[in-house]
Amino acid sequence: MGIEETGYEIPVGTYEDAEAMVGTTTPVRFGEVDVNVPMIRHFAAMAHDANAGYWDDEFAEEQWGGVIAPPGMLMTWLIPIEWKPSGGRPVPLLTAQVPLPGDTLVNASNEAEFYRPIRAGDHLNVVEELTEVSEAKRTVLGVGHFVTTVSTYRRQDGEVVARTTNVLFRFTSEEDDA
Amino acid sequence: MIAGVSYTQCYWDDVEPGEALPRVDDEITYRRVIMNPATTWDYFPGHHDPEYARSQGQPTIYVNTMHVLGFVDRFATDWAGPRSFIAKRKVALQRSIFAGDTMVGEGRVLDKRTDAAGDGGRVRHLVDLEITVKNQHGDLCCPAAVTLELPSRSRKVAG
Repeated sequence: MGIEETGYEIPVGTYEDAEAMVGTTTPVRFGEVDVNVPMIRHFAAMAHDANAGYWDDEFAEEQWGGVIAPPGMLMTWLIPIEWKPSGGRPVPLLTAQVPLPGDTLVNASNEAEFYRPIRAGDHLNVVEELTEVSEAKRTVLGVGHFVTTVSTYRRQDGEVVARTTNVLFRFTSEEDDA
Repeated sequence: MIAGVSYTQCYWDDVEPGEALPRVDDEITYRRVIMNPATTWDYFPGHHDPEYARSQGQPTIYVNTMHVLGFVDRFATDWAGPRSFIAKRKVALQRSIFAGDTMVGEGRVLDKRTDAAGDGGRVRHLVDLEITVKNQHGDLCCPAAVTLELPSRSRKVAG
């Protein structure tokens, strides 16, 4: 898988290389855009979600103190912009920086706890920690490793709004063997 | 009130453990999958490039994690109403949902309870939901567990 396809290199290494990275914590990374109503409504349109908290300014103000973001959008607020005049490649999520044998990846599970509503105007930041890399396991997609990261999301005043645990499957695709 | 927007609210006091949530069928066109990168900024090629998806052993492009989470959230709050807050959600992505599939959401109330884990010991009125996302063939794709904080008849969820 080349950089043109994914936008970033997926580093290749051994299970031992990956294990040595367990415990790594990223520096605080800030969202490049504030939580905002146009992106909230575009996402709600994608999910066909008619929740008044996303669509009705008056309702949202009265209930939540402003339009809120669908919880499922959480990761979006921290995804780097694809291209910048200054050049350079966006830094991938920690989970995609782990050196392993697999040439591709697919997400396996996501667990989230939300402590505060996320409102339009919030400016989020995240710290990610690599907490676990499994031994090689076989699934229907092929042989690979499960990579677990814990991400803590804060808003501009330092308040933790959410914490997520994500498990990603990093594997070698078997299409060519078929 | 805005036409088509969902305002109907469910209150914690009225929830019955065991009750079923209304089923939701959502047809996922190719266009909807392409909306994943457009709305979530997730440009992983499995969500927009069928050739890449096939190189992974998948038949075509598939829905991304955030779309699955968005569907689970929508399924829960369509039932519970817009004054409810998703406190916790766990989703296992066991099988992909491909362009051309239909996502089928089903679920039920497992439990209702209170806890004092909120701000300064604020009592939260919680319901635990068991949700499944299947495809049109009935294959289980994404089992999920959601805990919602609901308003009670005497108190709203804090904003």
